[in-house]
Amino acid sequence: MSTILLVDDEPAITDNLAPLLRRAGFDVVVAHDGDQALTRLRAGAPDLVVLDVLLPGKDGRAVLRQVRQERREVPIILLTQVGESGERAMALEEGADDYLNKPFDPHELVARIRAVLRRGRPAGGAALGSAQRLRSGAVLLDRASQRVFRSGQEVLLTPRATVLLAYLMAHPDEVMTRERLLEAVWGWSFPAGTRSVDTRVAELRRVLEEDTGNPRLITTVPGMGYRFSGVVESA
Amino acid sequence: MRERSRRLVGWTVALLPVAVGATAWTAIRSGRSPDERIVVSMSALRSDWLLVFGALASAAMCGVLVLRARRDRRCRRQLAEQSAESARDRRLLLSRLDHELKNPLTAMRAALANVTASTDGADRESGLRSIDAQVMRLSRLTADLRKVADVAASHLDRRPVDVVALVEEAIDIAGGQPATGGRRLRVDLGAAPLPRVVGDPDLLVQALVNLVDNAIKYTSPGDRIEVRAREAPGAVAIEVADTGPGVPEADLPHIWEELYRSPGARAVPGSGLGLALVRAVVERHGGTVQAQSWLGHGTVVRILLPSAGAPGASLAPGGRTDRQKAAEPAT
Repeated sequence: MSTILLVDDEPAITDNLAPLLRRAGFDVVVAHDGDQALTRLRAGAPDLVVLDVLLPGKDGRAVLRQVRQERREVPIILLTQVGESGERAMALEEGADDYLNKPFDPHELVARIRAVLRRGRPAGGAALGSAQRLRSGAVLLDRASQRVFRSGQEVLLTPRATVLLAYLMAHPDEVMTRERLLEAVWGWSFPAGTRSVDTRVAELRRVLEEDTGNPRLITTVPGMGYRFSGVVESA
Repeated sequence: MRERSRRLVGWTVALLPVAVGATAWTAIRSGRSPDERIVVSMSALRSDWLLVFGALASAAMCGVLVLRARRDRRCRRQLAEQSAESARDRRLLLSRLDHELKNPLTAMRAALANVTASTDGADRESGLRSIDAQVMRLSRLTADLRKVADVAASHLDRRPVDVVALVEEAIDIAGGQPATGGRRLRVDLGAAPLPRVVGDPDLLVQALVNLVDNAIKYTSPGDRIEVRAREAPGAVAIEVADTGPGVPEADLPHIWEELYRSPGARAVPGSGLGLALVRAVVERHGGTVQAQSWLGHGTVVRILLPSAGAPGASLAPGGRTDRQKAAEPAT
C-alpha cells in the first residue's frame, strides 16, 4: 500500500481528504505546516506528497525546494491557490510532478496520484518531475533556463509552448485533455481556451516533429486530447 | 474633442487683443488708415497705445490660460494615480477573496465525495457536519464583507456615547467567550473623567469587540490583554494592548486591509475582515486607527475618536459644549 503525506494547514481540508484517500486505498499521514512536513518526510519515507502552496511559516514552494535540495526524489503534487501560470511554470522548474488548482475534484486528485505513482521513476535517473533536463530522442529540454534543443541546435519557442512541452514531457504516455492542459499550463480554463492549446501544440509540432503531418512526439488522441508518445528520460 | 475646441477658443480670445492692436498698428503705420494723436500729455500714436494695451491684455489672459492648463494636467495626473491605485486595491481584494473561497470549497468537495461514497452512518454524519461548518464559514465571510461595505456607506446613528460603558460592554461580550481562557483581561480607564464621543454605539461596541477578540485570538493562555482609555486633545484614545507574539513590521501596514492575512498567522482562524471593520467604523466616526507592534513582546492597537464637541465630531441633536462634557463624571 502506498503512503501519501498530505500537507495542508486547513483541518477542514485534511479532515475530509484523508478519509477519501484512505478509501481509495492509500495510507495517509497528515502535516499542517512546512516544518512538520519536512520532519514527517525525513522520518518516514512516503511514496508521494500532496503539498499545499500557502502554508504558515515555511510555504509549500520552500518545502519543495528543500526536499529537492536534499536529493529526495519523492514525487510531489502541488496544490496551488493562486492561479497564475507564472507560479505554475516555477513549480515545474522546482520539480513538482504535477499540480492541481483549488478547489479541485477530489477524484481527480486520486487519479493524479495514481498516475504519478504508476509513472514511477526511470531506473538510475531522477523522476521526470524533478529532473533538470528532459530528453526524448533528438529533443532536449532544460528546465532551469527554459531552453529547448533539437539535435543539439537551440530552437525558438514561445514561453507558453515551452511550459506546455515541459508539462507534456513530464507526463509521457498520459492522455491529456485540453482542459487539463489549460488548467495546468495557462492557469485557468476558459471556454475559448481549447483553441489556444491546439495553437501551441501546432507550434510545438512545427518546430519539433520530423513530419508535421504525421507527428511522433505529440500525438492526437481523437475525442480526448493529446499524448506525449515519445520515450522520455532525464538527462 | 470638446476639451480641445474649448482650449482653442480660450487661446483665440486671449490672443485677440494683441492681434487687434497689431493690425491697427500696422494699418496706421503704413498709412492705410488715418491716425490722430491721442490727446494726452505723453505723445504717442493711437496705434502705439492700442498695441500696448492689446499686448498687456493678451499677456494677462495667456498667463491665466497657462496656469489653468498646468492645474488641469496636475489634476489629471492625480486622478490617473488614484484610479491606478484603486484598480490595484481591487485586484488585490479579488485575489484575496478568491483565496478565502477556495479552501472551504475544496473541503466541501472532498466531504461531498466522502458522503456519497460512504455507507457508514458515522462517516456520512461527520462529512455532513463538515459541509455545514464550511457553509457557515462562507456565510460569515459574506456577512462580514457586507458589514464592512455597509458601514462605509449607510446612514450612521449619531448620539453621545459614554466611552466607559462602551469599553465595559465590549469586555463583557469578548471576555465572556470560552476562548479567553487563561488570558488576563484588564481594563484601565484612568482617574480623569472621559469625554463622550458621538456616534453609533452598536457599531463602536462591535469595533471594540473585534479588537479584543483579535487580541485573544493572537495570544496564548498566560498573556495579558489590557484595554485602556484616555482623553487626548479633542479626542478619546482607546487602546487594546497585548503581550502576544507581535506582528512583523512588514505586515503591520496591511493589517487594516480587507481580507489581508499575515503569512505567519494563517493558522489562526479568521477571514481577515475584523480589523478592516474596525477601521471602517472608526473612520466613519471621523477617527483614526493605528497599530504598533514589537516582535516577541506584544501589540498595541489604538483608536482615536473625536470627543463630542470637537471639530471632527458632528454634534448630536442638542449637542453640548466641550466644557460641560468634560465636567460630567464618567459612569
